[in-house]
Amino acid sequence: MKIKPDSYMFEMIRTELTDAVGDANVDVKFADKFGHSIDYYWIPEMWHDRGRPCPQADFIVHPGSTEEVSRVMKIASQYKIPVVPWGGGSGSQGGALPVFGGIVLDMKRMNKYYGVDRDSYTVRCQTGIIARHLEWNCNKEGFSTMHLPASIACATIGGFLAHRGTGVLSTKYGKIEDMVMSLEVVTPKGEIIRTLPVPRHASGPDLTMLFLGSEGTLGVITEVTLKVHPQPESRQFRAYIFPDFHTAMQAGASLMRSRLGPCAMRLYDETETKTHVSKVFGIDLDKGAYLVFGFDGRKDIVNLQMKHAREIMEGQFHGKDLGAKGGEWWWENKYKFFYPGYMFHVPQAFGTLDTVADFAHIEKVYWAMKNVVNKEFPDARFIGHFSHWYEWGCMLYARFIFPGDKVPPDPREAAALYNAVWDKAIRAAIANGGVINEHHGVGLKLGRYVKDLYGSAMPVLQGIKKQLDPDGIMNPGKLGL
Amino acid sequence: MNISKYEEAIQNCRFCFMCRHLSAIGNVRFTEADTPRVRAAMLYGLRTGTNSFDDEDFVDALYRQDLSACCVHHCVNHFDENGLALAARADVVEAGKAPEAVKALAAEFSASASWKAAGKGDVAWFLDGTTAGDKDAVAAAKKLFAAANVAPKTITGGCIGKALKLLGFLPEAKAAAEKFAAFLAAEGVKTLVVSNPAAYDALTRDYADFGVKLPCKVLHVSQWILQAKLKFAKKPAAPVYPLADDFLRNYDGIDAPEKLLKALKAECRPFGTNDEETYNCGEGAVVLDRLHPELVEALAKYVAARADNPEKDTLAVASVYVKRALAKAGLKAVTLEELAASCL
Ligand SMILES: Cc1cc2nc3c(=O)[nH]c(=O)nc-3n(C[C@H](O)[C@H](O)[C@H](O)COP(=O)(O)OP(=O)(O)OC[C@H]3O[C@@H](n4cnc5c(N)ncnc54)[C@H](O)[C@@H]3O)c2cc1C
Ligand code: SF4
Repeated sequence: MKIKPDSYMFEMIRTELTDAVGDANVDVKFADKFGHSIDYYWIPEMWHDRGRPCPQADFIVHPGSTEEVSRVMKIASQYKIPVVPWGGGSGSQGGALPVFGGIVLDMKRMNKYYGVDRDSYTVRCQTGIIARHLEWNCNKEGFSTMHLPASIACATIGGFLAHRGTGVLSTKYGKIEDMVMSLEVVTPKGEIIRTLPVPRHASGPDLTMLFLGSEGTLGVITEVTLKVHPQPESRQFRAYIFPDFHTAMQAGASLMRSRLGPCAMRLYDETETKTHVSKVFGIDLDKGAYLVFGFDGRKDIVNLQMKHAREIMEGQFHGKDLGAKGGEWWWENKYKFFYPGYMFHVPQAFGTLDTVADFAHIEKVYWAMKNVVNKEFPDARFIGHFSHWYEWGCMLYARFIFPGDKVPPDPREAAALYNAVWDKAIRAAIANGGVINEHHGVGLKLGRYVKDLYGSAMPVLQGIKKQLDPDGIMNPGKLGL
Repeated sequence: MNISKYEEAIQNCRFCFMCRHLSAIGNVRFTEADTPRVRAAMLYGLRTGTNSFDDEDFVDALYRQDLSACCVHHCVNHFDENGLALAARADVVEAGKAPEAVKALAAEFSASASWKAAGKGDVAWFLDGTTAGDKDAVAAAKKLFAAANVAPKTITGGCIGKALKLLGFLPEAKAAAEKFAAFLAAEGVKTLVVSNPAAYDALTRDYADFGVKLPCKVLHVSQWILQAKLKFAKKPAAPVYPLADDFLRNYDGIDAPEKLLKALKAECRPFGTNDEETYNCGEGAVVLDRLHPELVEALAKYVAARADNPEKDTLAVASVYVKRALAKAGLKAVTLEELAASCL
């Protein structure tokens, strides 16, 4: 629903919103509406690049409390206006874009930090807090959330909860869904609900998990209690070069199967090692695949874990040891990969084909995607690394990149090309045992695959949506709902 | 357009989120428009027609920027997002779209560009209007000069170009700079000691950009104290929380403030949760307190909320602007001169 700004209905709704959150917290000016019309999804970036306006919200509302969110939801519910939660806008799937106008609920004013509970090692906060700010607060108290994603500087905790995000230490500390104790949520009708206070229980299905990954389509997550950890006494890294990514994958999988429990692991394919890792570290890694891993915790235990891990890397797989320094390069530069100059950028067309699979399938998924991209889109380059490792498999962070001069100038043609790559690559991944996806979410970008992904379970998801949001006002057009 | 000199920042910042956590205004207004990403995207939109200086909020977003340069300092490529914003302000002015409040301020600063000198010798102390408004800071500087047996010529007066440059009035800023340089030459100044970091930055960086040659060496007061090799009899009475200065750290990259604190044997405690953000309440924007006093107040509250003990803590700052802004939120700050003078 687009409400004409010069209509009296616009003024009626604005008055009610102002009453709910205060005059200063309802913005109808162009600059901020513009700012909320482009997130980290390539399509709106390209659209703006080509001088086309992107769909905008009618109102940008900044609630300061759960009660204010509830009031806004009741107003939206009454007038059947779309509400799109917006955290930092750093989502790459277009999840926070107000494609049907209405209200953008910018959550960043809800940034309260309530401190660490030193008995339970948990922390409670409002969800609009930027992840970096939360982490700094915890650090000051001697703790860490251990949620250290590359978008820590810009994304909110609410955004991570809504997308089931992850950070670089996921292999030991888990994804955000493994870190959550409980949630407070405002439903589309404005009711305030809380999920059970602990994540391990046998009191029926887990409502916390229902809202994690719901991408703002089932309600607004307003508060969270997360686990925290004391800062480790020691954190050590080590890196190896293997002749090819297959050998490196075998070594990495062996390390996971050994259950030594690394806190992080990354494996870059030969192309990404050569073009990307070399550039970021400022050294020449001309041949082979770069594998880095680390352990953290008590120093004596970390030393022992590292000793056994080295035996696997060197004794079993004959990796070329780059030493502790070679591993620290990665830890120190882990975010540098994401700055302009190191990251891809419009006018290039690029996308992260985030896929997850078990060890039995992950290489097949890699080759299926790489082959289809290379064959069908000869102008595109395909690179990949394996980011988040579990006992059973890992995440493939594959990317395709078209040079700017190979992207059609017409924005519709550019979008069509872009979507075609996704269609081919994702179908190839799914056909080979991959799941779309591990941590970026669905949003607008991948909504069309959700029915395929869920199969006969899709009506269950749709039924939950219908029950919680009968008028379909919560983030319409996202998550395939 | 002036912004075309900052093509690199336009192209790279417009879709980049990596310094969002440091957007001081964004962190108190909770907006997207107040981030390097969106400002750069709006400036890019000027060329394609999606954005225009007719949008008053766009122009205001440019003028309410804190200009701390924390983003530039943080950025691995040091893309000059701040330079871009200043160039954009100059374009706004050239396009005749400067807000009335901005024009009025510029007229006031232009008219203020004249100076007086009192005293003798070729060492001078530039006592800018902001510092002059703080009796304790002035007294401390005088005590330090006396301890060093230096009786500098004291130069007082108005805008030496910085505020005009920040408002986007470049020809007027350059004219003020030329006038001040000529004044210093006429006064035979060979060494100029400057208290206000903004003035130091104007003299060391802006003047070079304008092609204005100074007849003298310029020292920030912290550099001068170190050079003067003063004997300090005691260390500061209480621990201090030093705040990294927008100009001295982010723009000029000088480490004299830290060295001075070391020389004073000050017990320094880390303020807030990190050393990346600005806690300077818009110091880098120099006149933010005139254009948007409500934002300076919000920034000061933000800082106060991060103090260990807001009623008791003493913050060590390089500028009177910051001291004054923090006082509005009930925080106690001392300038580096005051701290050094207390140790004599
Ligand atoms: C440089 C860069 C690096 C990145 N690296 C990582 C990484 O390492 N790991 C990772 O997981 N992701 C990464 N991402 C992607 C992105 O940061 C995540 O998807 C993140 O979860 C988005 O958070 P946000 O606050 O920006 O959410 P937004 O983009 O604003 O919103 C994302 C979705 O969440 C919904 N939402 C937001 N807040 C709430 C709320 N309170 N309640 C309900 N729904 C809500 C929105 O409606 C939308 O559907 C990266 C992005 C960038 C730009
Ligand atoms: S200054 Fe650097 S980090 Fe900040 S937006 Fe620009 S490119 Fe990104």
